[in-house]
Amino acid sequence: MSALTFTLKHTINHRLDCRRLTPDGLGGLNLQQILQLKLSLQHNSPQVADFFEVSGNDTENIIFRNCKQLDYIGHKMSHGKITAEDDAGDFLGAQMQNGIILCKKNVGDRAGDSMRRGLILIDGKAGDYCGSRMIAGTIGVFGSVGNYVGFSMKRGTILLKNMPSLHATIQNCGTHTLPFLALLFRSFRSLPTAFNQIQTNRVQRFAGDLACNGNGEILVISS
Amino acid sequence: MIINGIKIDDTFAEAFNMRGTRVLITAQNLKWAYHAANAMTGFATSVIGCGVEAGIERELPAEETPDSRPGVSILMFAMGSKVLMQQLETRMGQCILTCPTAAAFAGIESEDKINLGKHLRYFGDGYQSSKLINGIRYWRIPVMDGEFLTQETTGMVRAIGGGNFLILATSQPAALAAAEAAIDAMKQLPNVIMPFPGGVVRSGSKVGSKYPKMFASTNDAFCPTLKGIVNTELDDDIESVMEIVIDGLTFEDIATSMRVGIEAICRLENSGVKRISAGNYGGKLGPHLFRLHEILGHKS
Repeated sequence: MSALTFTLKHTINHRLDCRRLTPDGLGGLNLQQILQLKLSLQHNSPQVADFFEVSGNDTENIIFRNCKQLDYIGHKMSHGKITAEDDAGDFLGAQMQNGIILCKKNVGDRAGDSMRRGLILIDGKAGDYCGSRMIAGTIGVFGSVGNYVGFSMKRGTILLKNMPSLHATIQNCGTHTLPFLALLFRSFRSLPTAFNQIQTNRVQRFAGDLACNGNGEILVISS
Repeated sequence: MIINGIKIDDTFAEAFNMRGTRVLITAQNLKWAYHAANAMTGFATSVIGCGVEAGIERELPAEETPDSRPGVSILMFAMGSKVLMQQLETRMGQCILTCPTAAAFAGIESEDKINLGKHLRYFGDGYQSSKLINGIRYWRIPVMDGEFLTQETTGMVRAIGGGNFLILATSQPAALAAAEAAIDAMKQLPNVIMPFPGGVVRSGSKVGSKYPKMFASTNDAFCPTLKGIVNTELDDDIESVMEIVIDGLTFEDIATSMRVGIEAICRLENSGVKRISAGNYGGKLGPHLFRLHEILGHKS
């Protein structure tokens, strides 16, 4: 089995909603059925073949290439793995239920919005509102993040390599060595991610979002 | 059967079914892992009075533990799953949660699960959080030294308790020295524990008593000071008897452990040990019979 790979045929000037292209949405479909799949449920929706070259057959392991304009990658996915090999658009992993999303470069705004479970690891930068309305799960951003990271997050962990600009309702809880990070980082070892460079379990912990009685955390890895 | 001058009785140890579990305890260093494990397995010599039988199985180097810290594995056995669950949760709460830097993880895979931190998490008073890592749920409970990390559940398996053998020697020091040699050898084996103090028990019991409320009492047939007044099992030159009791995950684990222990005693020179025997109740107590001659490689 080889990874099911979606490569955008040509550069587009508009956003493209890819919420149907998940292991949940594509499981059990053959290549022909995937090419004919409508990208949305609207009557005049374009098909996958209109925009993508598709190769591979493993719907549990999906790769996107040339994906900067693609929004909602991994939306509501509940299993499997998705890799964005280039910049990804907005709402990466929004409402994610479980599974793994890897982004090798940068992502747009609201990555992990309302995600409930699962793991998103971004090797590059993330835009504004990363982890907004997060319910649980883990988001890691190796590069910088935009404003309002963790906005209205209830639970979950946002793991950052660089100190973000935080809004007032995310509160500093000090620097700590957290034992669970050893397990978390060990679980990353099977994944091709920049987080495998991390050699410490020491983090500065911010809790929030207190505006919604949140019990989430933003952990900034000590350098 | 006689090995190096020590008579091996043609008898058997009688063991019964139990439920068992394994927990991995890690800490900042081995010293604190042992503090936690010793507390967890304290007052756990016999199900008769303690609810569970528990002991430290072995040390774990950092490379073998889930959180890459040094630790120890403990085994815990009870007569039923309900008691085991209750005892494990109680001991987790009082001995592991309380111990500085300690963390607890499942040490055995099984379809049957019992709680490690599933209910303990409520100690966090709403500040606890869970992490699902590789499909395994962990709980992080904020405590005064930082964070207590525990896996949600561990496995529970069918196990066997009550494997045993008796060391009959010409003096108390000789019996104890032989028992120590046996324990040292048996502690090298996985999947078994010897739950009594130092692995050795001096107060072997028989079923029943002259007192109606007592369901177990001293094993008078093996008490050297009663030789003249009871139907004794002891020869004139036996002055002390020590027993080693073994709980294990499988029949083979216990049989191997008994063999290694007895062989260690038989290798001693001028040990003062005259006989090795075993405790049984005529085959009426438990379904597992460990025949000493078979264990040592000879058909009786």
